[in-house]
Amino acid sequence: MDTVTALLLAFISIVLINNLVFTKFLGICPYLGVSGRIDMAFGMGLAVTFVVTLSGTLTWLIDNLILMPMHLEVTRYVCFILVIAGAVQLVEMYVRKFFPSLYKSFGIFLPLITTNCAILGLCLFINLWEIDSLIDAVVRSFGAGIGFTMAICIMAGIRENLNLADVPACLKGAPITLITAGLLTLAFMGFAGMIR
Amino acid sequence: MILGDVFQLWNCSWPAGLTMLGLGGGFAVVLLIASEKLKVEVDPKVEQIHEVLPNLDCGGCGFAGCGQYAEAVMTSPELIGRCAPGGPETSGRIASILNLQVSDSGPYHRPIVRCRAHIADKSFYAEYQGIPTCTAANALTNAQACKFGCLGFGDCTSACRFDALHIVDGLAIVDYEKCTGCTACSKSCPRNLIEMVPFRYENMMTVACSSKETGKTTRSMCKVGCIGCGLCAKQTDIFSVEDNLARLDYGRYEATEETEVAAQKCPTGVIVLRGPSAPEPREPRKKAEEKPVST
Repeated sequence: MDTVTALLLAFISIVLINNLVFTKFLGICPYLGVSGRIDMAFGMGLAVTFVVTLSGTLTWLIDNLILMPMHLEVTRYVCFILVIAGAVQLVEMYVRKFFPSLYKSFGIFLPLITTNCAILGLCLFINLWEIDSLIDAVVRSFGAGIGFTMAICIMAGIRENLNLADVPACLKGAPITLITAGLLTLAFMGFAGMIR
Repeated sequence: MILGDVFQLWNCSWPAGLTMLGLGGGFAVVLLIASEKLKVEVDPKVEQIHEVLPNLDCGGCGFAGCGQYAEAVMTSPELIGRCAPGGPETSGRIASILNLQVSDSGPYHRPIVRCRAHIADKSFYAEYQGIPTCTAANALTNAQACKFGCLGFGDCTSACRFDALHIVDGLAIVDYEKCTGCTACSKSCPRNLIEMVPFRYENMMTVACSSKETGKTTRSMCKVGCIGCGLCAKQTDIFSVEDNLARLDYGRYEATEETEVAAQKCPTGVIVLRGPSAPEPREPRKKAEEKPVST
């Protein structure tokens, strides 16, 4: 029971309180780039969730079972990038096969998940937080993906409504998007310190 | 000593290299299996069509690039013939890939600049010193006296990917030898001066003016503007005057004596030929030798 509570807390913590986008400012590029329409944002969120879960789990395994026993921590970055790139390739093939329209609308952003810093960030944070069980790593990776999906979907919803709003000419486009992102972060600051 | 260092480096690095190699190999195998399982069948005809297209990605067909156009043509063959840079040759090759026969696609379209005023013909209220683009100058009402004429900052020149448009003394001149008819220039002109015209003859006649001002105002601003006198419309009915501006019905244009006379009658000489071998437009008639304008 204790472990379940701990896992639940870890999940909520990474989704709401230590959200990678809102508190760590990671993954801002797709967060602003693909948040124009809510269906695309949701698709992007799912793709990132898949990649981050897969790579978070795999990197934990590689880190704990191969790199640490062999004292090869220096190659951590290279190995992690390798895992992420492989996972992204997998997602790209899958999306291209089964969701051609989504594949077309993603364009360059799908391969760019490779360089989404939220993913590499999460893999490194898992090591930094000294997560020592596989299930904990899986839950946190999945939570990070869900957190990213939530953030990008909220942003897309706001931006869809912004299209109808009377924005001053000087703030149209990128400026109002950045202001919105800032306010959203401010709102999520309210959760800060609730858990760890 | 150096040899010892090399050995030490080797001893330190081989496990790392081996691990990376192992990991990379593992992923390569996984991706290989995935790429076989998740293979997307691309119709070989789409690739063939893509190959015969000019691959300029000019967007003249209305699609984002040649790749999208190839896919669209594959599914809806009525789109054959949209490729302006490729021309009828490309259309024919696409059709043969799709086992179709192209009907005569009609005359090709080429841009005509509906203004013929060089700097010497224009008049100015003041010197424009702002951002040197037509779009910026067009935002000002007084960049030049004529609100309709060519501004000559070359937005069309920069839009053209084929080096087929040049600004000569403040007027955009189309190089019809190089032009492929991709319509990029006509989209770029902030004053909508560049019209895509079906070239049924080598040289097409046009009314090279867009001014809708009254004859008197036009004449005060430009030496070669259409004053809407209607002499051409009296000569032949393919010309019509609307809003003080003569228009030529390109669909009914024939290179006959009648149209030639109409062009010669024009007091300001705005009815000109445009095309690869078009003669230089003639000078406007001097006031004195001009026939009285009847309305």
